[in-house]
Amino acid sequence: MFRAMIKKEFLLVLRDRHALIALFVMPAIFILIMSVALKEQFNQDAITFNISVIDQDDSKLSKKFIRKLDKAKSFSLLEQSEDIGILITIPKDYYNLKKKSQKLDLLVKGSMKGDLLEIFKAKLLKEVMDAKLKQMSKEIKKTSFQASKTMKKISLDYDKLYSVKYEKTELIPSSTQQSVPSWIVFGMFFVIIPMSTIFINERKQNTLNRLNSMNVSIPLMTLAKIVPYLVINHIQVWIMLGVGVFVVPLFDTPALEITGSFMALEVLSVALSISAIGLSVLIAVSATSAEQATTIGGISNILLGAIGGVMVPKFIMPDSMKELSNISPMSWGLDGFLDIFLKQADVMMVAYNSALLAGFGLALLMVSMLILRIRTSKGL
Amino acid sequence: MLKVENVSKSYGSKKALDSLSLEVQEGSVFGLLGVNGAGKTTMLSILNGLINIDEGKIDVFGFDIKKDIKEINKISSIIPQHLAFYENLSVKENIEFFASVQYASKESIEKAIEINSLGSLLSQKSSTLSGGQKRRLNIAIGLLNDPKIIYFDEPTVGVDPKSRNEILDSISEYKKLGITVLYTSHYMNEIERICDEVAIIDKGKLVKQDRLDNLLSNRVSDKVLVETLYSSKTSSLGLTLLDDTVVETTQSELSAVLEVLAKNEVFIKQIRYGSSNLEKYFLEVTQ
Repeated sequence: MFRAMIKKEFLLVLRDRHALIALFVMPAIFILIMSVALKEQFNQDAITFNISVIDQDDSKLSKKFIRKLDKAKSFSLLEQSEDIGILITIPKDYYNLKKKSQKLDLLVKGSMKGDLLEIFKAKLLKEVMDAKLKQMSKEIKKTSFQASKTMKKISLDYDKLYSVKYEKTELIPSSTQQSVPSWIVFGMFFVIIPMSTIFINERKQNTLNRLNSMNVSIPLMTLAKIVPYLVINHIQVWIMLGVGVFVVPLFDTPALEITGSFMALEVLSVALSISAIGLSVLIAVSATSAEQATTIGGISNILLGAIGGVMVPKFIMPDSMKELSNISPMSWGLDGFLDIFLKQADVMMVAYNSALLAGFGLALLMVSMLILRIRTSKGL
Repeated sequence: MLKVENVSKSYGSKKALDSLSLEVQEGSVFGLLGVNGAGKTTMLSILNGLINIDEGKIDVFGFDIKKDIKEINKISSIIPQHLAFYENLSVKENIEFFASVQYASKESIEKAIEINSLGSLLSQKSSTLSGGQKRRLNIAIGLLNDPKIIYFDEPTVGVDPKSRNEILDSISEYKKLGITVLYTSHYMNEIERICDEVAIIDKGKLVKQDRLDNLLSNRVSDKVLVETLYSSKTSSLGLTLLDDTVVETTQSELSAVLEVLAKNEVFIKQIRYGSSNLEKYFLEVTQ
């Protein structure tokens, strides 16, 4: 009996094209778009300036300086493009020490923000100073070999100037690490669409009553609905992880790295699935029509997602919003996934969030069964 | 047999059934008549164990509804008014599913398919079936557990005349198989056509229960009802029709009517003399 009920549920979901799109295609596309679109915003190292250089000095040193800019990670040297953000003009006699010191002329695109320009100036200063020091060293060498040698030791390599370490609890994810769990969590809660549609149709057409009169109990009916959606949620998780690991890198975006335990991933996914199914069943049994259920389900998904850090990452939220986000089960799931991706979390590390999610889901399931029992006894 | 004794059921302050008593004989087709809100659906919900009774006693083939509802569900079946199956599954998938949840035997599955002429439709998606075919599938599902008693909840509402006839004919077949039928309907002519015994309920109370012959024999008139086999021609012959198969006439005009029917190759099933239609009686007792 139970096998037949599970098979029926699978057949109904697999034949619902709209549901399949909402469950599998929509989150995969979101992962791809958001990972690629936000890759620069999440990348702490790479700020690249598109520049072009007019060399009026036309000296050996100015040419060397341009080659150096071309090689530097921070600059991308372009020739005549709309993407050029800053045009650098090296004036005549810029590297001639015998002449009066000249300024580099910077023509900056109007839309460039002031703080970004300051970063550019700092990076350019490093390159300019480096070149100037080398030139000075060369000049000094003619009079004092020892002084020239000492000057050469002066380094402007940032990596040698500072030692930077990130605090472990404040790890910032890459765009892929943020997008994949966000849209996994969001996508999993979209089981509300097929579940409510099937459930409400069953209720409206008296199929539930018919099954009830065939000695199929309400807990068994509910359980037969849970199992297929647990499997579907599980498939969703692994497909979305696959998109993060294999598809996202094809778009010149960092691949998803899973540093934590796979068992932790399994435990968290099952707990998240129970939570999503619990909410879906509650909405399905409470709503009076499929349209009402999909509207309520859609709105609650978006709200839980917005609060829970799916739309806007929690690490850029103000403290008050971070506090508020803790009421959303999507936030519990998202935090668990980020722990696994960023902090090498094991099962114990995600146990608390998993317990919260599973408890939330089971509580909603119990309330749903109670509502369904009352409705059935009233012949609704 | 089915025995309902002084059954009452209330929803809050509203009494849906008020000390209702009925007796349905084994192997009979029993018509339950009543206006909307009379208590027919409540009665069927109780018989299916979907709601509990407040007072009284119900015995279904020796089983007490309060104690043995699971046993009763095994030997009974409801044919709901709505099409209670899955439109996105094929006919075969629907039958297999409902058969599995009831542990139905292969023989009863084959019998349900055969009686309802679904053999050629098995691979078809249920949503693509015609209205009549859907009704037949709805009924076939109810036969899968090889029931001793079937409850029909207004099965012909919104059904085209041809399908209606097929449904009514199939109910006559169940009688031949020894299955007891409890049939609820608004359509008096349907009850007149298929039922052996009738109960009229109003505001949750039994107004009258008797054999159909007895109810109608008290109302002798010159009227004659000619019941025909379904033909699309019948409606275009200019005769007085009670429904698409029953022609109403008088004894003096009978021979002329029979001649018209014969000429148009409309076959006659039965002729009832001195009958009055049940509707008039129903209106009288429920007013």
